[in-house]
Amino acid sequence: MQFLGVLALACSAAVSLAQDTGEAYDLVAGAIDLTRGATSFSEISMQIHRPDWERNSSLVAWTRGREDALIRFTKPAKDAGNATLKDADKMWTFTPRLNRVIRLPYSLMSQSWAGSDFSYNDLSRTDTLLHDYHLTLLETEQADGHTVYTIEAVPHDDAPVVWGREVLVLRDDYVLLSHTFHDQDDLPLKRLEALEIGEKGGRVFATRMRMVKLDEPGHWTEVSYDEVQFDVELEDGLFTVYTLRSGGGG
Amino acid sequence: MRTSVPVKVLAQLSCRNLWRHRRRNAMLLGAIVIAVAFVLLANSLLRGWQAQMLDTVVANLTGHVKVLAPGYRDDPSIQRSFLLPADYQPELPGVDGWASRVRVPGVILSERDTRGVQLVGVDPAQELEISFLADVAVEGDFLESPTDRRVLIGAALADQLETAVGRRIVLMTQGSDGRNREAGYRVAGTYRASSSSLEKVFVFTGREVLQDLLGSPAVTELSIKLVENGQRSVARDILQRQFAAQEASTWDELEPMAASMFRFVDTAMLIWFSIMMAALAFGLVNTLVTAVMERTRELGMLRAIGMQPGVVLIQVVMECLMIVSLGVLLGIGCGVLAVRSLSEGIDLSQWTAGIESYYMGSLLIPVLLPYDILRVLGLSLLFGLLASVFPAWRAVRVEPLDAMRR
Repeated sequence: MQFLGVLALACSAAVSLAQDTGEAYDLVAGAIDLTRGATSFSEISMQIHRPDWERNSSLVAWTRGREDALIRFTKPAKDAGNATLKDADKMWTFTPRLNRVIRLPYSLMSQSWAGSDFSYNDLSRTDTLLHDYHLTLLETEQADGHTVYTIEAVPHDDAPVVWGREVLVLRDDYVLLSHTFHDQDDLPLKRLEALEIGEKGGRVFATRMRMVKLDEPGHWTEVSYDEVQFDVELEDGLFTVYTLRSGGGG
Repeated sequence: MRTSVPVKVLAQLSCRNLWRHRRRNAMLLGAIVIAVAFVLLANSLLRGWQAQMLDTVVANLTGHVKVLAPGYRDDPSIQRSFLLPADYQPELPGVDGWASRVRVPGVILSERDTRGVQLVGVDPAQELEISFLADVAVEGDFLESPTDRRVLIGAALADQLETAVGRRIVLMTQGSDGRNREAGYRVAGTYRASSSSLEKVFVFTGREVLQDLLGSPAVTELSIKLVENGQRSVARDILQRQFAAQEASTWDELEPMAASMFRFVDTAMLIWFSIMMAALAFGLVNTLVTAVMERTRELGMLRAIGMQPGVVLIQVVMECLMIVSLGVLLGIGCGVLAVRSLSEGIDLSQWTAGIESYYMGSLLIPVLLPYDILRVLGLSLLFGLLASVFPAWRAVRVEPLDAMRR
């Protein structure tokens, strides 16, 4: 439910709110239906910031629903062609220099993706908020003509989630303003923040956002959408290992 | 010649010859005593190591004998498992304890770190009978039953993960259908084992809990601890008949590295013994040759008045054996006393970090086997005998006429 998830954000927001009103499960089903089949194409800039260096990359991404995604680096030249494919909870990476596709073992899913502050899990987790957490509406306030909801998500005891709790701040138009991950001592460890909200491709969403490591000052990764198209026609074979390897997509 | 000189006289002669150079022979005796005592001490320390190695290997979830599904050793997964009846009891003689487990590779995650580990589903009561879990210090709770839905992790692992008793962690592994399985668990307790490598490897939870996660009622291993290590092959053969479709193995087949180290200790003892004895033999030969050379005139005289060469030979050998056997007996006495004084064990904790990989704990307790004492005794006497051959041969070669003319 991170930056690719944002493209389908309406859904999780609807879900979170629904739990509080008691119509939860109807809305969950509805929300999932909303993203079913929704496609997107986007051009993204990514900036990885560290206290002593910074790296700028460009990438293109295709998504279909919340299950499928294909991301390919276009810049810098050193990384161009590196790609990640996601199919539900399975992920593959392709490195043209090695000409090899690697299926990511689950054990690596919590590792950093492409050296950024996003983990593979951040890319891959889809509906976990729906069934692995207990959601509570903490606060409702008005800001800039919107209603802003603060929602606390506490994972179930047996949920495969390491966080103590997560706090989401959402606007009534389902724009995610921030998503904070707390450890089990309730120390915030990382936060996804919306820096700019705008309209692109006919929808309003966070067009620039930043994942900040709160326990490591100066560590953050910023992602901004330069170009987004929704409901694009995608080839059937786009989200396959074959396309991943052949460099196809665009 | 058919000895005209009785043994008693020969012995008397030898004694007197030794007594003539009291100081020189006392020093030689001292050298023998020290060498033998050290050999015995080194021997018992190596034996202590060997015993510890065996205990460690058996306790580190290996047992003396183990039943595994075919192929599990190459690909340890829940697919390589077998069903064990709920009321199973091993039917073989000399069983000290047994445990059935589910053991699969997996991953443990906390908020801050991810580690590859061995997930072990256990019946805690069984483990207390046979594995290292019986000796660990636990902070928090020990697991209570095969259905205890919590985990017991090593203290070193808890440090790495920056987690603690009562926190939640996530376990991830491959289920029986080959798909990823993951779930959150609470940490019941952390254990401190003799080595931090154990603590970092094994994550325990209830057996039925892990079976639940994996989606299989099967176990991956049946581990049996025997009363006698020597009975392991017999036990393996019986188990192999009872579990015809599985593979029964002894600990030395499962842990070839430990087994070869175990065997190496036997060799090391012989090597150490040979080095000490070779050094000693030079001193012995040197002293005896000197003694013979000094007595050239005397030996010539004895030959001239009719002593047979064979008797001369016996006399020199006897002289040598007397001093060697006295030295060996005193040496063994000193060695036994030294081992006794170390019966509390030698604390190696300063070096433990390095020696864990050699299956050692931090306390080395020497073990003295009667067999080893007899072996040292026998081999030392043999060495003494061999060392006397050259001086005796020199003594026999003395020509009476030449000798008299000196």
